[in-house]
Amino acid sequence: MTLPEPIRPTRRHVLDLDDFTRHEIETLLDTAVGMKEILSREIAQVPTLRGVSVVNMFYEDSTRTRISFELAAKALSANVVNFAARGSSVEKGESLLDTMRTLQALGADILVLRHSYAGTAHLLAQHFRGAIINAGDGSHAHPTQALLDLFTLRDKLGTLERRHIVIVGDILHSRVARSNLWGLTAMGAHVTLCAPPTLLGNEQFWLDTWPDLRIVYSLDAALQDADAVIVLRLQRERQEAGLLPSLREYAQFFALSQARLQAALTGMLVLHPGPLNEGVEIAPDVAVSAQSVIEEQVTNGVAVRMALLYHLALHLRQKGA
Amino acid sequence: MRYLITHGMIIDPSQRVATIGHVLIENGKVARMYEMTDRLPDADQDLVIIDAHGCLITPGFTDLHVHLREPGEEHKETIATGTHAAARGGFTTICAMPNTRPAYDTPAVVRQVRQMARDASAVQVEVIGAATAGRQGRTLSEMANLVEAGCIAFSDDGSPISDPAVMRNALAYSRMLDVPIMSHCEDTRLNAGWAMHEGAVSMRLGLPGYPAAAEEVQIARDIHLAAMTGGHLHVCHVSTAGGVELIRHARQRGIRVTAEVSPHHLTLTDRWVLGTLDSPPSAAQGSLTQRLDQYSHVYAAGMQSMRQSADLPLPAWFNPTLLPPFDPSTRVSPPLRTEADVEALIAGLADGTLDAIATDHAPHALVDKQCEYGLAACGISGLETALGLVLTLVHRGALDMLNAIACLTEGPARVLKRTPSSLRIGTQADLVIIDPDQQWIVDVNQFVSKGKNSPLHGQRLKGRVMLTMVSGQIVYQEPGFGMTPRVTPVASRLEGILNTDDDDA
Amino acid sequence: MSATASEKEILNGDEIRRAITRIAHEIAERNEGVQQVLLVGIRRRGVPLASRIAAVLSNVEGVQVPVGELDITLYRDDLTLRATVPLVRTTRIDTDVTDRVVILVDDVLYTGRTVRAALDALVDLGRPARIQLAVLVDRGHRELPIRADFVGKNVPTSRDEVVEVRLSEVDAGEDRVLIAHSTR
Repeated sequence: MTLPEPIRPTRRHVLDLDDFTRHEIETLLDTAVGMKEILSREIAQVPTLRGVSVVNMFYEDSTRTRISFELAAKALSANVVNFAARGSSVEKGESLLDTMRTLQALGADILVLRHSYAGTAHLLAQHFRGAIINAGDGSHAHPTQALLDLFTLRDKLGTLERRHIVIVGDILHSRVARSNLWGLTAMGAHVTLCAPPTLLGNEQFWLDTWPDLRIVYSLDAALQDADAVIVLRLQRERQEAGLLPSLREYAQFFALSQARLQAALTGMLVLHPGPLNEGVEIAPDVAVSAQSVIEEQVTNGVAVRMALLYHLALHLRQKGA
Repeated sequence: MRYLITHGMIIDPSQRVATIGHVLIENGKVARMYEMTDRLPDADQDLVIIDAHGCLITPGFTDLHVHLREPGEEHKETIATGTHAAARGGFTTICAMPNTRPAYDTPAVVRQVRQMARDASAVQVEVIGAATAGRQGRTLSEMANLVEAGCIAFSDDGSPISDPAVMRNALAYSRMLDVPIMSHCEDTRLNAGWAMHEGAVSMRLGLPGYPAAAEEVQIARDIHLAAMTGGHLHVCHVSTAGGVELIRHARQRGIRVTAEVSPHHLTLTDRWVLGTLDSPPSAAQGSLTQRLDQYSHVYAAGMQSMRQSADLPLPAWFNPTLLPPFDPSTRVSPPLRTEADVEALIAGLADGTLDAIATDHAPHALVDKQCEYGLAACGISGLETALGLVLTLVHRGALDMLNAIACLTEGPARVLKRTPSSLRIGTQADLVIIDPDQQWIVDVNQFVSKGKNSPLHGQRLKGRVMLTMVSGQIVYQEPGFGMTPRVTPVASRLEGILNTDDDDA
Repeated sequence: MSATASEKEILNGDEIRRAITRIAHEIAERNEGVQQVLLVGIRRRGVPLASRIAAVLSNVEGVQVPVGELDITLYRDDLTLRATVPLVRTTRIDTDVTDRVVILVDDVLYTGRTVRAALDALVDLGRPARIQLAVLVDRGHRELPIRADFVGKNVPTSRDEVVEVRLSEVDAGEDRVLIAHSTR
């Protein structure tokens, strides 16, 4: 029998990729292939998760991620409710746990949490009876973004084993970079980080957790032999906070320009988690070049989130049954 | 009431005494010491015999750094609950930090707090006055008036004094009063928005960091200001290897610097913030014992001064994986640092660079802790676990028993320029009876303190306070302790308590 | 992969080939040619069976009948009853099903629940003119009002028996259909 082993539904939450094995990631990506086909249909909906309630609990604005989760849940016929609150729970005078308990009492099965403080998904996971999906917490983790990046890369490169992936930009503050480090490492890829020291922090601190990383300050050097580059968004606040002399200088040394794309391997893929700061971290013509898979990432994001919802919801149901 | 404490191991750092015998307490004072061979006083109705077989009898502990929260935050702690927690921890004198509402920055508030302490307290409470008015870090508080009202030191603890000129003036002015300025050393421009120690763990978790340098640059600044003014600088809760080194160097140069370290900074590290994440997925499937072993190895590697003990306690070290990741109970200011820092702090205690162990007991309500990690209130409720943590170092051979007790008795007295608590005949009977070998599991719900915020919940500690006496009155006693004769053999265990090689007296 | 106490072969390779040939002829006869026919195999073993039927039709009728693959996992009604999460595979039907005669192909017809899920999955893809069902083995015990239009072999079974179809495209070894007592 050549069938891959079905995974036992033991996963309750998706908080980061640090507790995923390669097998589990592969299984999820395989599932997402099937989900992507559904999305291509005229009637892009299957009845699988009827009666499952998904609440998008967004404490930080992110229209893209929220819509992606919403479409994923709806494609599987789940009920979706959006709960948006700005600022932290403390500022609101309402505790995060209190809000969570209310949503639990209202019948939420899966909470999709986006929050500006690291660790909040873990906090809710301590207290919520259903499943938590971390849709980004502070600079900590953004596992669904990493999974969709892995999906896109695997789709285009065939495998991630020994592929060379560069992550460039504001790595210090990037949950996308951290979750991708877990995911890419688990899949056997070689990762290079590239950022100015103020947006990277102490190199040794990274190497303590991911010893096989390569860290370079020159983007040109980093891009040599790269199979793909993940360009991170640069928040303009970083410059205001004094971490950068100017956006102009940043763009000069760290933006993915047409010239850098030309110098890289033919077919080097360009990824970006969005939204783009065109002219800052990425040149406009690069973003729409043939090597850019930025739009596909968005479509793949829905498929990957469907796959996650499918696995988590079945686990919940089976436990309840 | 007279008490006869029998068959105890008497340890008194102030006299450099360690012997087995009996202690008689009369009229609130230490009345007599008996050797094992001496004839004991005849039993009478007025004489309570406390059997301290297998236990240590030591002078009562002094805690330089306690947050009693009263007035203003009585839901977190009160003078009554805080001092009873102190008694349970073996502390007979505690110094209350002024970050209350209102702050202890006027003689009226100080007198009122001292009066409340006399009425409600189980132990002796000393008041630390605010160094600046309203703890705003701008103008000096009326220090002379506050000393008259009873303040024994000044501090803006919780909020560092950012302006170096204000710190200079505080150190200079306090010199005429001969009281220390207890400095919370933190440069808040270097750790803006911090959640934990800046290191490999904060990098992994994406939490904003508090670099060691944010503490060290402020310690360096204050040392130079102390050197310039001749004032007495006391560095609160040193947490970094660099801080220890700065203080060591300053003392070698004769600058008036003293320093304290907290039990948690001596024993816990930033890896505690990882909680269950601290075991790689493969090890997570291993048994609990395997994970513990893995831990002991990590910590043991950092302990250079390890002395092999014949009976290592069952849990070689604590197990951070009892906590979930990002557990707010691990959030404390200054933050838990690295193994290398822990090692340096222990070395600092051992060589006398650090004078005292002070709990920085910081009780908080559950609601202040059950929230986003970076927003959780800083602090650990530490009075009731302090001794257990310190004795962990002794059991591991990282610190000898006499030194450990000295850091809780003599050391703090030295900072306050007082005669240390002692078991000398004729002195006030402030003493503690400790069972150094009793293993117990920390249960925060059993805390006397209102603050249940401790990362140690569920951990096994070895060593426990059995009885605390203030002025000859029992202020805390483990239920049933001392009433029935204990049968633990004693004599052999005294060996090694006094490490004579290390005797610098 | 249930352990089996005793196995009995009910169809060998030759018999399977003849059954498929017969089904192909019946399909052509029933639908008066195969111009509108679309074969859709239900994953996994329905897919090679559909391809084999298409090959026969190509020989006999001289027409290339399109073949699709249908994954019904997301339409199952027993998702919450299983110990493992069924793997979701891809549905691949390149021909529009609308106004086609769709022949669903599966290896074994048992309770009828798989076919029910397949019907739901299929109508989500369009509106076929007719849907017919072809199976290699019908073992009875229907739980839904579903019957096959084309059957390779009817096999009376008891519920504690297992019918196992092995096809060379998917499984190692030769084509055969076995019946065995489940020890569970």
